[in-house]
Amino acid sequence: MLTQEADTRPALSNSRSRVRTPGMRLDSRGSIIFAAVVLTIVIGGAVASMLIPQFDPLRADFSAAMQPPSPAHWFGTDATGRDIFARTMAGGLSSLVVAALTLAVGLVVGSFIGIVAGFFGRIVDEIIGTVIDLMLALPGLILIMVVVSLVGSDYWTIGLLIGTLTIPIFARIARSATLSVREREFVQAARLLGASRVRLMTQEIARTVLPSVLAYSFTAITVAIVAEGSLSFLGYGLQPPTPSWGSLIAEGRTHLAGAPWIMLAPAIVMCLTVLAVNILGERFTRKDT
Amino acid sequence: MDQIEIRAWVHRGVRGLIVLTLLGLLTMSLPALMTGTPALAVLGVNASPDQIAAFMASLNLDRPAPERLWEWLSNAAGGDLGASLVTGRSLTDELAARLPITIELLLLGQVVALALTLPVAMASAWRPGGLLDRIATVTAFVLLSVPTFVFGLLGIMLFSVMLGLLPATGWVPFGIDPIGHLRHLVLPVLTIGLAEAAVLVRVLRADLITTMREPYVLASRSRGMGTARLMITRVLRPSSLTTMTLVGLGFGALFGGSALIETVFAIPGMGRLAVTAIGARDFPVIEMIVIFSGIAVFLAALAVDILYTFVDPRTRRAHARS
Repeated sequence: MLTQEADTRPALSNSRSRVRTPGMRLDSRGSIIFAAVVLTIVIGGAVASMLIPQFDPLRADFSAAMQPPSPAHWFGTDATGRDIFARTMAGGLSSLVVAALTLAVGLVVGSFIGIVAGFFGRIVDEIIGTVIDLMLALPGLILIMVVVSLVGSDYWTIGLLIGTLTIPIFARIARSATLSVREREFVQAARLLGASRVRLMTQEIARTVLPSVLAYSFTAITVAIVAEGSLSFLGYGLQPPTPSWGSLIAEGRTHLAGAPWIMLAPAIVMCLTVLAVNILGERFTRKDT
Repeated sequence: MDQIEIRAWVHRGVRGLIVLTLLGLLTMSLPALMTGTPALAVLGVNASPDQIAAFMASLNLDRPAPERLWEWLSNAAGGDLGASLVTGRSLTDELAARLPITIELLLLGQVVALALTLPVAMASAWRPGGLLDRIATVTAFVLLSVPTFVFGLLGIMLFSVMLGLLPATGWVPFGIDPIGHLRHLVLPVLTIGLAEAAVLVRVLRADLITTMREPYVLASRSRGMGTARLMITRVLRPSSLTTMTLVGLGFGALFGGSALIETVFAIPGMGRLAVTAIGARDFPVIEMIVIFSGIAVFLAALAVDILYTFVDPRTRRAHARS
């Protein structure tokens, strides 16, 4: 349910909301600039948190604990005097790495499965369809937590697991796109020219399937960011001391009354990042139609 | 029902049963896949291999998955879902106490979502690009970017910490204190409802606008039907398919989503149970939750399929092919 955690449902709405409807453009020049600025800051901050010692997310300064935002600490400090700005930026690094891994897994594996199902049809399609239904019927977030509780969590595990979560959606999109081009003339022509099945799938079909899959990629990135945040919030994401937006928010939750900035700063940055990716997705989808 | 229709339903049913069986087998292989870990959680990390083996055997955790699934199912048929490894409580009791809470939350959340979605989407589609539409579209788009747990926390901060209007967390049974019960419900239900409405408004609005361009709508209009009546009696129904699917899927994702909401608001429902059980590696509980979750997804999908045939009879045949 809900938009949160690993809600992959917006993908379903994609197909129809792509029908051009008049109204507010969510990807106006202003929004695009906004999205670009937000993402530049988040990516820049992530890189800075690795390179610049002033932005060390772990440096504690007990004499400056629980300070509200100030010129010295832009987002304030937490209970052990760590700089929230530095921690939020470092949390961005976690989100970006996990999002990239998710995309790599979901897009590649999902598209591959979907194209194979659509191309071969019949029994292959039936088997893959059943597996996809199975994946959709599993409570993803809960199973990821189970796995994490047993094997531990690092970037790879989390990225791989959340990526797996997006596989069925990518597969469905790739499958229906494949079905719609499978019998088109250029594919038939290639077939007549003696192209092998592998070549047909990797060259002719993959190329035409790509735009629809890419359009979903933006949603997949937001799914990854939110899922990673949700897992860390519940304590099953990247383990401390690695900062993550979810665990920062969970930390801040205990200080809601006295030091709301501890929760608000990472929460707002997280929402702005997701919003920025959504805006780019809107832009991409529209251009595509 | 003609033959194509029957074939479609049989196909759907068989596929569903296969999926549920696979899900059950997968669930039952969890302890074996995680060799010994459930035992370690209970016996402590210093347990010897013999102790672990004895423990696994005592709970039948070491037996093959099909056998365990069969046993689970036959026990479940008799109303016995096993017991928690940690608390020793019967899971049948646990389910009876917690499932109603989660369902109440979810049901009210979806009701709030629909109550918001229908008027807002219709007002938006009334004049696409108008002031109302622009406000609704931007609001929904921004809300869509707020993760639910963040949304819940912001609600707590505003209404409980700053304004002191509502309790931040916890749960009071209706029977003990009806007013307190409702007060505890407001924030979680609003959180679920708003997050859900953000998804639904976008979809329903787009579908309404698409339908409004159909020739039959123009025909009704030319016969003098007002926009409001037209929208409610002619346009809404054929435009509601995607929205219905999303609501159905929302019900299906019963436990995963409730884990977050119930953690944020400290509500003793199924989601909270899942989080606690995972922390304690309480396998009987995890198994029950995964299986019930699968059943919920299956039933929700089935309900949507059945509703489809009422809302748009054409899908009875069209569905067979997809």
